[in-house]
Amino acid sequence: MSVIVFGLVQLVPGDPIRLALGTRFDQETYDALLARSGLDQPLVQQYVTWAGRALTGDLGVSFRSGETVTSLIGERLPATLTLAFASILVALLIAVPLGTLSALRPRSVVDRVATVLSQIGISVPEFWMAIVLILVFAGTLGWLPSGGYVPLTEDPGGWAQRLLLPAVVTGVVSGSVITRFVRSSVLEALGADHVRTAQAKGLPGRQVFTWHVLRNALLPLVTVTGVQLAYLLSGVVVVEIVFAWPGLGQLALQAVQSRDYPVLQGAILLFAVVFLLINLVVDLLYTAIDPRIRR
Amino acid sequence: MSAPLLEVEDLRVRLRTPRGPAEVVNGLSYTVGRGETVAVVGESGSGKSVSVLALLGLLPARVATVTGSARLDGEDLLTMSPERLREVRGPGVGMVFQDPMTSLNPVLTIGRQLVEGIRAHGEVSKAAAREQAAGLLAEVGLPDPQRALDRYPHELSGGMRQRVVIAIALSNNPALLIADEATTALDVTVQAQILDLVAELQSEHGTGVIWITHDLGVVAGIADRVLVMYGGRCVEDGTVDDVLERPAHPYTRGLLGALPDLAQVGDGELATVPGVPPAPTDLPPGCVFWPRCPVRSDPRCETEQPPLAVVGTSGGTLPHRAATWCEEGSPR
Repeated sequence: MSVIVFGLVQLVPGDPIRLALGTRFDQETYDALLARSGLDQPLVQQYVTWAGRALTGDLGVSFRSGETVTSLIGERLPATLTLAFASILVALLIAVPLGTLSALRPRSVVDRVATVLSQIGISVPEFWMAIVLILVFAGTLGWLPSGGYVPLTEDPGGWAQRLLLPAVVTGVVSGSVITRFVRSSVLEALGADHVRTAQAKGLPGRQVFTWHVLRNALLPLVTVTGVQLAYLLSGVVVVEIVFAWPGLGQLALQAVQSRDYPVLQGAILLFAVVFLLINLVVDLLYTAIDPRIRR
Repeated sequence: MSAPLLEVEDLRVRLRTPRGPAEVVNGLSYTVGRGETVAVVGESGSGKSVSVLALLGLLPARVATVTGSARLDGEDLLTMSPERLREVRGPGVGMVFQDPMTSLNPVLTIGRQLVEGIRAHGEVSKAAAREQAAGLLAEVGLPDPQRALDRYPHELSGGMRQRVVIAIALSNNPALLIADEATTALDVTVQAQILDLVAELQSEHGTGVIWITHDLGVVAGIADRVLVMYGGRCVEDGTVDDVLERPAHPYTRGLLGALPDLAQVGDGELATVPGVPPAPTDLPPGCVFWPRCPVRSDPRCETEQPPLAVVGTSGGTLPHRAATWCEEGSPR
């Protein structure tokens, strides 16, 4: 995996040193910088050096700012974590009730409306939705700031205000995807034979629904939520840019623009690790939810 | 004779399907007495399962229209309030479903699934309900019932699961037990054990039983009366002896004729009833069995639905009835 990360970054066209130096420079400075950054080494050598250091937690130094990549990522991580978890919360708050209602009354008005809404949510570009929301809530109504980020510890009110719009944009998109899954998994759970057994026992409807339908529909929901969370954690670039949200997506974009290989490699490596971690968590949750997987 | 436990009258079920309305059950009437076992037999698609699911309101209301009446102890199941129906499910009627592999919830323990049924019908503490559940599992012959309570369905074999399903159906001492192909998915030895078990419980508690099956061997073994269904109608009913020994309807004869004779070894071909049952969206106008009937002795067969008429009462007090234009003793 680290080979792929490294290789992909090397494919980015452009010369980082030239970009760092600007239009006017002399050959000596160029050579000196090249030697210091290690870019004059053969690629294999560069990879081995980078991978070796990465293993010890040293992801190198940014070409652009001179800061270590780990500290750059560390600075951005809280913002991304905040946005990702807030978004997934919004997504679930939308998807679980809406998907469940649709499944309970298939082909009803609620179901049709939910289908259309989730179709819109999936297909509308995030930047467009973000801009519309900013125009309405920050511009016309003036209720919320148009962007930026304040740490929770400094100003909880401002933190929540600034979090709301970006979380809604990404939450609506993820929520639209998850709604579809909730609908189909609840529908499937409703049709299961054991639901009839539960009804035949004379259980109250609510109990049948909670323990014999929702409980069983939870499994696919965990999977799709995990996938969505992984996607959100790897930085929702567009939304972070529009809302001036200082997260990892923004960092990665800046790194691409300035050919800042160490930062870009570090960010991509982190995304990959996050993805694996989330998959691990999903698997662990599965064993907690489904006794058939337990040993 | 005292009032029967269950009195079904003119039960009709119509299902909305993509191919138009399906008349799945068409005017079914029968009774089940206390302690009596009524077997309902017929091919797949003859409306057996739907007719009993309709009794308990277990058909999806969006697609099923149920008419007629079904009085359990004088109270009509088909018109009672949803809350009253919920109270009846369990103590009034217990139901055992066909497939033990899918009729238990895979993510809840056996104990939980039993306990919730017990606690849905009375103030019982969790601990007491758990004790009761263990007792039930012991009663249905599950080894080590205390430990079985904490197991999940997938940890048990099919036969064991079906015992659990039966234990759930029996957990509120139902007045009527409906077993829908309860042993079809099991192997023969397990089936025999389960049949014995139900007979035993029946003699202890005086439970009335509706046993749905297409296994005539099972019918002969456990039933007092038989009801033969075809195309959503009762085509013949009567005591086991009457129906199995002196079948009056060509369809019943066909079913009995299709039983392979194990004593006969050789290359003899299996007898069948040729053709398939009519689609419930497209029932024939006359006798439902006419398109497949080998007799067709009467001109009315094709055009007029024969009524269920008494053909004899040789077995005892119960009439032997059949819905056919065929004269008794007409050629097979």
